[in-house]
Amino acid sequence: MQMDTREVACGAIFVVTAALFAYGTVDLPMGSSIRMGPGYFPLMLAAILGVLGFVILLKGFGREQSPIGGIPWRGLLFILAGPIIFGLTVRGLGLAPAIALVAAIATLASSKATPVLIAAIVVGLVAFCVIVFSYGLGLPYALIGPWVAPLVPGV
Amino acid sequence: MELLDNLYIGFQASLAPVNLFYCFLGVLLGTLIGVLPGIGPTATIAMLLPITFGLKPETSLIMLAGIYYGAQYGGSTTAILINLPGESSSAVTAIDGYQMAKQGRAGPALATAALGSFFAGSVATVLVAVFAGPLTEIALQFGPAEYFSLIFLGLISSVALAHGSVIKALAMIVLGLLFGLVGTDVTSGAQRFTLGIPEISDKLEFVAVAIGVFGLAEILRNLENEHDRDVMVTKITGLLPSKEDFKAMVGPVLRGTALGSALGILPGGGAILSSFAAYTVEKKISKHPERFGKGAIEGVAGPESANNAGAQTSFIPMLTLGIPANAVMALMVGAMIIQGIQPGPNVAVEQPSLFWGVITSMWIGNLMLVLLNLPLIGLWVRLLTIPYTILFPAILVFCSIGVFSVNSNVFDLYTVAFFGFIGYVLVKLGCEPAPLLLGFVLGPMIEENLRRAMTISRGDWTVFFTRPLSATLLVISVLVLLVVFLPSVRKKREEVFVEED
Amino acid sequence: MLKSFAAAAAVLAAIGFGSASAADYPTRPVTMIVPFAAGGPTDTVTRLVAESMSKDLGQQIVVENIGGAGGTLGAGRVAKSEPDGYTLLLHHISMATSATLYRKLPYDTLGGFEYVGLVTEVPMTLVARSDFEPKDLKAFIDYVKANKDKVTYANAGVGAASHLCGLLFMSKIETQMTTVPYKGTGPAMTDLVGKQVDTMCDQTTNTTNQIKGGKIKAYATTTTTRVSSLPDVPTAAEAGLPGFEVSIWHGIYAPKGTSPEIVKKLSASLQKALKDPLVVKRFADLGTTPVSDADATPEALKAKLTSEIDRWAPVIKAAGVYAD
Repeated sequence: MQMDTREVACGAIFVVTAALFAYGTVDLPMGSSIRMGPGYFPLMLAAILGVLGFVILLKGFGREQSPIGGIPWRGLLFILAGPIIFGLTVRGLGLAPAIALVAAIATLASSKATPVLIAAIVVGLVAFCVIVFSYGLGLPYALIGPWVAPLVPGV
Repeated sequence: MELLDNLYIGFQASLAPVNLFYCFLGVLLGTLIGVLPGIGPTATIAMLLPITFGLKPETSLIMLAGIYYGAQYGGSTTAILINLPGESSSAVTAIDGYQMAKQGRAGPALATAALGSFFAGSVATVLVAVFAGPLTEIALQFGPAEYFSLIFLGLISSVALAHGSVIKALAMIVLGLLFGLVGTDVTSGAQRFTLGIPEISDKLEFVAVAIGVFGLAEILRNLENEHDRDVMVTKITGLLPSKEDFKAMVGPVLRGTALGSALGILPGGGAILSSFAAYTVEKKISKHPERFGKGAIEGVAGPESANNAGAQTSFIPMLTLGIPANAVMALMVGAMIIQGIQPGPNVAVEQPSLFWGVITSMWIGNLMLVLLNLPLIGLWVRLLTIPYTILFPAILVFCSIGVFSVNSNVFDLYTVAFFGFIGYVLVKLGCEPAPLLLGFVLGPMIEENLRRAMTISRGDWTVFFTRPLSATLLVISVLVLLVVFLPSVRKKREEVFVEED
Repeated sequence: MLKSFAAAAAVLAAIGFGSASAADYPTRPVTMIVPFAAGGPTDTVTRLVAESMSKDLGQQIVVENIGGAGGTLGAGRVAKSEPDGYTLLLHHISMATSATLYRKLPYDTLGGFEYVGLVTEVPMTLVARSDFEPKDLKAFIDYVKANKDKVTYANAGVGAASHLCGLLFMSKIETQMTTVPYKGTGPAMTDLVGKQVDTMCDQTTNTTNQIKGGKIKAYATTTTTRVSSLPDVPTAAEAGLPGFEVSIWHGIYAPKGTSPEIVKKLSASLQKALKDPLVVKRFADLGTTPVSDADATPEALKAKLTSEIDRWAPVIKAAGVYAD
């Protein structure tokens, strides 16, 4: 039988997500309509989402395949890693090194990244951000964090 | 005439050189900072709040107000240029504005936003000046039941935000509502769907979710065909709107202004709904709804006007009652207290030059905004010709800093990555992010108001129909539902979107 | 803008010239964490005090808002910070009530902090919508007892001042009202002014101007003496409900292990700030007064915290509400 895998996958994802949210409400009191508990409304929504997902899934059968297009695996890996790395390092390393790391990682997401380009982007962005965010806006975050401060001469 | 006297007092204050200067400074700083992705008006005002401590009260409020609408305008700029909405209202602008930018029409899109905002801001300022008192009384008629019905109407109408499948749009709204409920349940204090993570025990941060599903997902989409293109836009056609563009934007601007002014008065939620509502209206009455989502200038003009009108009228509850309607207004109230002014019903009487000075400065600020931004358009548009390999690391770095600065919460950055992934997967599967974001914003509000209404009515469901305002809103919702699902209309829709579905 | 440049330059200077001993403290800007959103009443109190203390210490005190989880996230951050005197916490009554409201906390309430001193105690007011039937507190209590849960009581969410005050009131009169929770004081006050709910109890910071403007009516203040900005409103004891006393007290804390010299310096600076005429005036506008020198001390804050934990624990446990 013909089937549109994109639609079927989409419907299936909604159904699974609905099930996960519904499962998340099992420990929450339902309450009554006068005093709705914390579980009442989300369970209602999860049920609706499940039905909608199921309809999308069914409609996917008997239809032609929709184009999905390529997936930029390299981009996916490095772009999603960017904010995570920033989060892991901004408190410890400080603002400036964290910016440098994110800039380098983000540039790597492009297949056109060369060492020179990475270095240029890192230097440019660190300088720009330090001037704008730390000096201009006075964000209350240390430029050099406690992990590296002892290693920097003069500190 | 009393109004003229008041306006005279107001202009006397707002046209004083020092106030003009700080108004301009506020508008300028607001625009520049608002343009940085991820940093919206709330974060901007919070950061710049200490600067105003040394100023006189009206000067400081005039400057803060300037930052507010400046940042809002700057936020629209990023939404149009790189599909990064800094707050919920610009999420709507991003839909068609970004498409226009991709087609090389970023200039007209930005100019439309500027002119529409200016017109809407001017009209709304007059409304604030003339009707502030009576409008407050109307806003107070809105109890939990009315809010529930209003938000319900907003959700139903938001199906129009999607230009693909109706059912997928509905699923995205519901998914957004569910993500909106993550965190502490206001009514019982229970934790929901937090997986024991203390950082999200309140809620998921809006800015992080928005940047994830819009910004990161968009970068990933652009990386798909990196080999074919170096820059986002190769040809740029014209910086200013053409004659046809002007003709096309008049209606949307007028309707957007009316909608935004009306909804902006309602504390909590009104201003958020206004840009969504304006988009829906434009799409519904357009002769060519199929152009929406693909760079329709009406889709920029309507929401931008509504958004700015709503931003002005949302000052009404703050100025007349001292009750903040949103996070930005809460900051303004804080600033007033620090300045030694007690926000409340008496401000207009006790501090006429402050009250009317702030109101008149809004008009002056909007004028400055348009004068400042029209020349800047050429500069912004040129940003699009920066090679993408350089542009997206910069976007990612700004987003990271911006998101972090909202709450100083490291976990918000993980939220960005998570929603970037989700957003990309869903886009790949033919779902659109705007309805999800609307659901996310409105989820907690609709639930709270539903539960509150039921508690106050002691479990009587008919309360939604016996209160006239609420009943009217629900009737409109049903009409909208009928229009969306009526067989004939639906058939036409499917014909139009056959390649999308 | 200049100020932030100065602050940033000072940070650089500190990095360049190395950290100094307690005697020179402070040699770089100090961060004072408010565990609530910017613009709220606690934030306002903090900014006023921080501004004045900066002048005295000769270094800028930078206020950082780390809201979330009823203030426990911000407090947790400070508890885990370096005890070098450069990270401080300004927190209110929730420091004591969170100990019971939250069954697990990211810090040790009594063991995780050094105490700098009390800052101020903001009184509360019991208020109702302007057209609510009962004329005074006595009539109100009778009305609540007669109509029980038909009376709606608005609060600003679990753990908020208005929530705590409501719990105490209901336990005093031994009658339950129907509680309608809101997200924050703003929307709750809107619905009270709009006559959608019947009654509420909140800080004078939020109620004074609505009362003066005639938008809501006040039954009593929760203080032992009348509040100067509301001379016509009787105290709860005067109006017939003795023992109904609540105030939202604020204190400054430092991470455990901060050197006693630094704490002493901070307490002295706090005492000076609380006598700053500008601070006194702004506090008066808020319906409150700075505490005395004797209360702006580590000992007084520690005593207050301990006694408040003991006082609220049974009330919260009896109501059976928890925030996690």
